[in-house]
Amino acid sequence: MSRSRHRRRHSSEAAGDLGFQIAPMIDVVFVVLVFFMSLTATVKIEAELNSKLPGTASTSTSVEFPDEQTIGIDVNGQVLLNDDPIDAPNDASLPKLTNALLRLKQNADAAKTTLLVTISSAPKAPYYRTIDVLNALAAAAIDNVTFTVDDAF
Amino acid sequence: MAGGGSGDGEEPEFQIAPMIDVLLVLLIFFMSSITKQVARVDKSITLPVATNATKRDSARDESIINVRWDPAALRATFTFEDTAYEKLDPVVPLLAQRQSVSKKHRIVIRGDRLVPAEQIALVMAAAAEAGIADITFAAAPR
Repeated sequence: MSRSRHRRRHSSEAAGDLGFQIAPMIDVVFVVLVFFMSLTATVKIEAELNSKLPGTASTSTSVEFPDEQTIGIDVNGQVLLNDDPIDAPNDASLPKLTNALLRLKQNADAAKTTLLVTISSAPKAPYYRTIDVLNALAAAAIDNVTFTVDDAF
Repeated sequence: MAGGGSGDGEEPEFQIAPMIDVLLVLLIFFMSSITKQVARVDKSITLPVATNATKRDSARDESIINVRWDPAALRATFTFEDTAYEKLDPVVPLLAQRQSVSKKHRIVIRGDRLVPAEQIALVMAAAAEAGIADITFAAAPR
């Protein structure tokens, strides 16, 4: 500590004026900072997969029927593309399904039609399998997706 | 540069003012980065992984519904704004009220990875009943 600061402190104490105390302020700011830093470390970054619920729409012109594909998920997590099993039930990346969806998307784009995919899951099928399928659809840039639960699986 | 010393041979003092500046900037940064997220997410939920999912747009007007799963009791619990529900019937009017205020309102479903698909379908049915068609599934990016 320098001599000039010592002199300043002695003079203010002598006058009975403590002045602005910087040390406790830094203490408090450090504690608050550490608290928020530790809180930030617990926040996990999340991502999202978007979907739209089907609804009714009035129209006066003719309706073009979309190119519709159905992806089923049975209770064991087996994925079925138009009732045909595809990929292993424990394969989260679903490579064959992703490739098939990419081809379907390319065909739909070339034919200028809308590709609509319906995910039909068994009621007791685990939710992560639905997310695996949605992830494959996101990889193929297919966003017209509906989700339903079907007892038939 | 400021604080480089006057060159008169005196020992440079510890500068408290810039240090407080930096501390306050850091404090504001960490306070703003956590915002509402900490208050709204349910840490008991393990999200399913989706590597191709898009970055979460938390700036949108949204309602988050958490779907917890108790594997021992084989029971799902829905939480909406810190309140747990066994069924979603009481939540529907709240969602409908939000939808009437903002037409761009969306539902974010944060479901545990092991929850059965039928429970997620119940949340979607509640959203449909409230007139909300915009549904988003929350997932972990890795």
